[in-house]
Order: sequence, then structure tokens, then C-alpha cells
Amino acid sequence: MTTDARAIPSAPFSPNASGGRADSLRRSFRFGDAMLGLVCRGSAAVIAIMLGALVLVLLTSAMPAIKEFGFGFLVSSEWRVNELERPLKDAAGNVVVEDGEIVMETIKPAFGALPVIYGTAVSSLIALLIAVPLSFGAALFLVRVAPTLRMAGPLSFLIEFLAAIPSLAYGIWGLFVLAPFLQTHVGPAVKSALENVPGLRWMFYESVTIAGTVVERPIPITGRDMFCGSLVLAIMILPIVTSVSRDVLKAVPRTQIEGTLALGATWWQSCVAMLRYGRSGLFGAVMLGLARAAGETMAITMVIGNNNQINPSPFAPAQTMASLLANEFAEASEGLHQASLLYVALVLLVMSLLFNIIARRLVVGKASPAGH
Amino acid sequence: MSIIQRAAWVSAVGVSIVVGGGAANAEASEVRLGGAGATFPAPLYTKWVAEYEKVAPGVRIDYRSIGSGGGVKAITDKTVAFGASDAPLTKREIEAMGGPDKIIQIPAVIGGVVPAYNVPGLSQPLNFSGEVLADIFLGKISTWDDPRLQELNSGVSLPKLAITPAFRTDGSGTTHVFSSYLATQSPTFKGEVGAGKQVKWPLGQGGKGNEGVAAVIQQTAGSIGYIEQNYAVANKIAYGAVRNKSGKFVLATPETMSVAGEGAATTLQGTVLRADIWDQPGDSTYPISAFTYIILYKDLVNLKTESEAKALVNFLNWATGDGQKFANQMDYAPLSSGVKKAVDAALSTLTHNGKPVK
Repeated sequence: MTTDARAIPSAPFSPNASGGRADSLRRSFRFGDAMLGLVCRGSAAVIAIMLGALVLVLLTSAMPAIKEFGFGFLVSSEWRVNELERPLKDAAGNVVVEDGEIVMETIKPAFGALPVIYGTAVSSLIALLIAVPLSFGAALFLVRVAPTLRMAGPLSFLIEFLAAIPSLAYGIWGLFVLAPFLQTHVGPAVKSALENVPGLRWMFYESVTIAGTVVERPIPITGRDMFCGSLVLAIMILPIVTSVSRDVLKAVPRTQIEGTLALGATWWQSCVAMLRYGRSGLFGAVMLGLARAAGETMAITMVIGNNNQINPSPFAPAQTMASLLANEFAEASEGLHQASLLYVALVLLVMSLLFNIIARRLVVGKASPAGH
Repeated sequence: MSIIQRAAWVSAVGVSIVVGGGAANAEASEVRLGGAGATFPAPLYTKWVAEYEKVAPGVRIDYRSIGSGGGVKAITDKTVAFGASDAPLTKREIEAMGGPDKIIQIPAVIGGVVPAYNVPGLSQPLNFSGEVLADIFLGKISTWDDPRLQELNSGVSLPKLAITPAFRTDGSGTTHVFSSYLATQSPTFKGEVGAGKQVKWPLGQGGKGNEGVAAVIQQTAGSIGYIEQNYAVANKIAYGAVRNKSGKFVLATPETMSVAGEGAATTLQGTVLRADIWDQPGDSTYPISAFTYIILYKDLVNLKTESEAKALVNFLNWATGDGQKFANQMDYAPLSSGVKKAVDAALSTLTHNGKPVK
């Protein structure tokens, strides 16, 4: 790698190496080369060091929680910041009384990340379910239809413009426009249509433990729920999935498309063949979208309802890892609480890294043959 | 003429801001102090800072409302002149700062938390009691026409409407005050939900910040949530009266919250002042009130110069004295005379490098 880098710039000068002027020119170029090389290596190293430092800092600050909970943190669903003090009960369920006084037990705070991992996974998956078909459709249109209509340029611009809108703007739109619309129109309509369908009751009712007894309550439809969060996420990941899949589809060789057409494929069949040809690249585009959805914070915090619970209903409020951090980090002063939040951040970072690595391998590693 | 004079003065101040940072000239140099912490009193602190610049030109104070937890951390790390917190310091936090004889904690102002609701067709504030509020937030009372609510509000026709509790999802002093109060009112609440800056509510809808809870309340018919009194007043959100220890139904106002503080004045001793002033006795006491605190090092080692220490002490004396009149204007409750005495006593013990600050 390094020998290549040196060989390329020096090659054009080597034939003229005899002349004095050319010699000084060469020397100055070499100095410039060396400087540029240093700067580039330095920049690359800084980025690597920053990532390393980030992981290190997260690891050390999350250590108290990692030591306390271990990997059980990832599968425990209780998240309670405060201590509880209540009468101690014996095995039979009776309050323990000693010397005429009720014995109290103190229940320590508990931290488990399962609800937020669930929230992140489900909201991202629903977002992908909505965004991916739209993105692939738009990408196909951009590659195969738009050029003949001379619309590819403006449309691409519009789609990339979506990516430039700050996430806060999506959040505010979600909170003040989308959520009230879902609350007053979509939610009630879906409820009245599906409420009495056997097997769908879980979408509209939840079981709540009230003072020891389990009560079934209708889920209040507020518009700030898993569904709303997923919708906003879907809109936010549309641009990246569309533009990456457009590039992947553009890289499908013309001969490949013409070949399918020559074999008598219809327009539809050749599009399917095109998608199949670029499937690893397209999967990479999806993974990039997934990484973006999982890490999105500002907008999702505003619309997902922020409740650390695992509720299968799309109309129940939920919480993602990122929104948990946004909600709780500012006021988290107690050691274990903060460490647990940083543990969640670490999990999120590792997850995003994995998504990105997979995506890069698929887009850069395998799709490149399609380009040549 | 006066405009020109003022302009000249302003530009002189501007120059002194630029130049005067490290100047030896005591008159021309300006003092900069930083504070950080609780968001709840932030509007008042910002007002104080602006007003104090008129009283003492040349003293500039920056208050950053980063949350109580952040404020405690900032003062522990000595990166600010003072920290601000809605909840008093915990034992562990006091130890982290070097022990109780190393620090000063004073109440700065009083705030109240109100039960705000969205019930269509009501013309007067509803009455609540602590137990009823606890049972609403536990889910035991689930409709507005529940007999126990009706009993507190005789003569009011309450609708047959499901109750949706609304709560803060972010850690906050507001939740600390409200849950602490409910824990004193209901043993079940204490055992199931407990008290803290952040608790796990068994049911209901969450919102981030006062504005988030207010949004839930305004958008959901039948909802009830807890928000700060001044936020409810500023945004014209209906809120109810709460029955106090003496059995009277009291609406939160600066006066009724201030009385709650006075009730605790005798318990304020030493330099780490703290008093939980929810559920205080007295006919006109609003029961869900709380102090918000300012935290300092007793020896102001976190400040470089004596003039900085002086400026800070003067500012705090002014804020807990003359500055209290702005509290009323902004719907906070001022410190009563008994509390002010305890605060003055605590502030008089401040030193800089061992020398008293006068």
C-alpha cells in the first residue's frame, strides 16, 4: 500500500531527474509529498484514535454497571432508578412484624436494557418495512424511468434534500402534525376496524398491574407511540436508502439489462433481474438505513412516547436506546444510573458499528464487480 | 444627548469586557461568574442575573440550565461558582464534595407542583387529596366520576371519562417533589412506585419536560398530569386544589407556597440547609411545595480571586433578599423571613482561602 503511494507521484519526474531545475522541483515536490503524506496519515489516525477513545471512555464509565449486571443487563426488563421501601412480606404473603413494628425492606434500583433494545429493534424494523419498498421503487424510477423523462436530476436533488433537513424539524413536525393526525384520525379508524377481530385484541388493550392485581385497560391512543416513531424514522431513512440503492442500481452493467431484454424479459422482469443483480449492495443500503434508524435521537424522543416497556401494540408508547439517553442523561447523578445509561450507549455504539461494517462489506466489497 | 452618553457607556463596558479580563485595575475590570444546574428555577435565575447587572455593573453571571444532576456534578468538579439543584444533595453527593462542613446549601426560592388536568365542561378548579392523587397515579381510580373524586367535589358534575395519568419521562425535580409528596400520602404508592427524580409509573402517558406533559394533557381528554405551578399559569392550563394537612383545599399561589416554606424555617440549621416542605401544617399551606437549592463550597476555593468571591456573595445576598420580589412576578414563591434568616446565617460563613468574605 505505502510503496504504491510513493510510486505514483514520483513516476512522471524520474525521466527528467538529470536537470538541476527539475531536480529542485523534484525535491520540493518530494517535500510536499512527505508533508501531505504526514497530514493524511495524521488525519486518518486522529479519526481512528477518536473512535478508540470513545469506546474506551464508554467502557470505563460503564464499568460499574457492566460489573454489577454483566450480560444479564441485555435481557432484564426492569428499569427503576429510585429505591423502594416497602413492608417486608414472608413466604405466605403476610407482612412481617417484629416487636410491634412493621419490618421494611429496601429494594435497590434496577437497570435492564431489554425494553429499549426491543424498542430500538422494533421501531427500526417497522421503519425499514415502510421505507425500503418506497426507496427501492424510487431508486428504480431514478435509474430506469427518470432519465428518459429528464427528471433524474431534480428528483435526486429532492431526495437528498430530505437528508439535509435537521432531525429536530422532523421531530417537531411529528409532534405537532403527525401525532395529532394519528390520534384523531388514523388511530380511532384502525381501532374501530380491527378491535373486534379475533386475535388482534393485544393491539388495543394492555394488562396493567394495579396494586398487585392485573387489570386489562384500553391503551389510550395519543399518537405518540411506536407507530408514530416508526413512521418518522421511515421518512428520515428514505433519503439514504434511496440514494445508496440508486448508486447500486446504476452500477448494474448495461449488458446485464440488455441481456435480460434480449432474452425476452418484460420491463418488470428485467427490473427484478436488476434488483437481484445488485442484491448485496441493496442489502447494504438497508443496513445503512437500519444504522441510521437505530441511532436517531432527537426526532424519535419527541414522538415515541418514552415509556420503558415491552408492549407489542404499535399504539403503545415505547422507548429506544437513543431516546432513553436523551431523556435521562441530564439528570442522572447517581453512579449506577449513569453507568447503566453509558452501558446502553456502548451497546448502541457496538450495534451501529456492526451494522455499518456489514453494510460496507456488502456495498463496497461485493457490489463493486457490478461496476466493472 | 443621553442616548450618546448611554452609547458611550455601553461601548466602554464592551471594551472593558474585551480588555478587562485580566486587568489589575479593580474598578474597570469585570467579574465573571458561572453557575449551572436545575432547569426549574432557570427563568428566575436568568431574570436575577439580568437585574443584578443593573444593581452591580461589572458583574456578569452566566447561568446554564443543564439539569440538577449536571449542576451537582459541575460544582463537585469545581467548574462553576455555584451549582443549582431541585433536590437537596444526597449523603453520597455531600461526601463527594468533601463532607457537610465543606459546603453550603441554601434554598433560593420555592416552587410548587400542581395537578393539571383536561376535563371538558368544568367551570371551577377540582379538589384533590393526596390519597386520591396517589390512587389515580396507581390506576386504582380510573374514571373521573369515581365516588371518591365525587366526594371531594360535591356539586360538580364529573363526566364518565377514563383517566389517563401523564408523567415526566426525564429525570426532574418536579417528579421528585410530586412522588415524594404522594409517598407520604399513600403507603401503597411508597412501596410500588416510590419517590425520586425519576420513578417507574405503573400506567399512563409520558412527556419530556413540563412542555411534554402539558402537551399530553392538552391533547388527551380525561388526562391528569403534574407540572410546575408557574408553567401551568403561564400556559393557562387548568389545575386543581389539593387538600393540605389541616384538611383545607388550597390552590397553589406564590403566597400559599411561601407559607409552606415558613413552616419549615425552624428546622433549617447549620450550613447545609434542607427541608422537605411538602405536606406542611397550616390552614393556607399548599401541600406540594419544595425549595430549590443553590450549592457552594464553604471556602470558595473554586474562585480564583477575592473580588470574584465578593461578587458571588453579594449576588447571593441580593438574590435571597431584594431579588425575591422578582420571584412573585414570575410565579415562584419568595423565601419567608424565617427562611431568609437561616440563609443569611449560612451565607455569612463563606470564606475565600480561609478569610471571611465581606
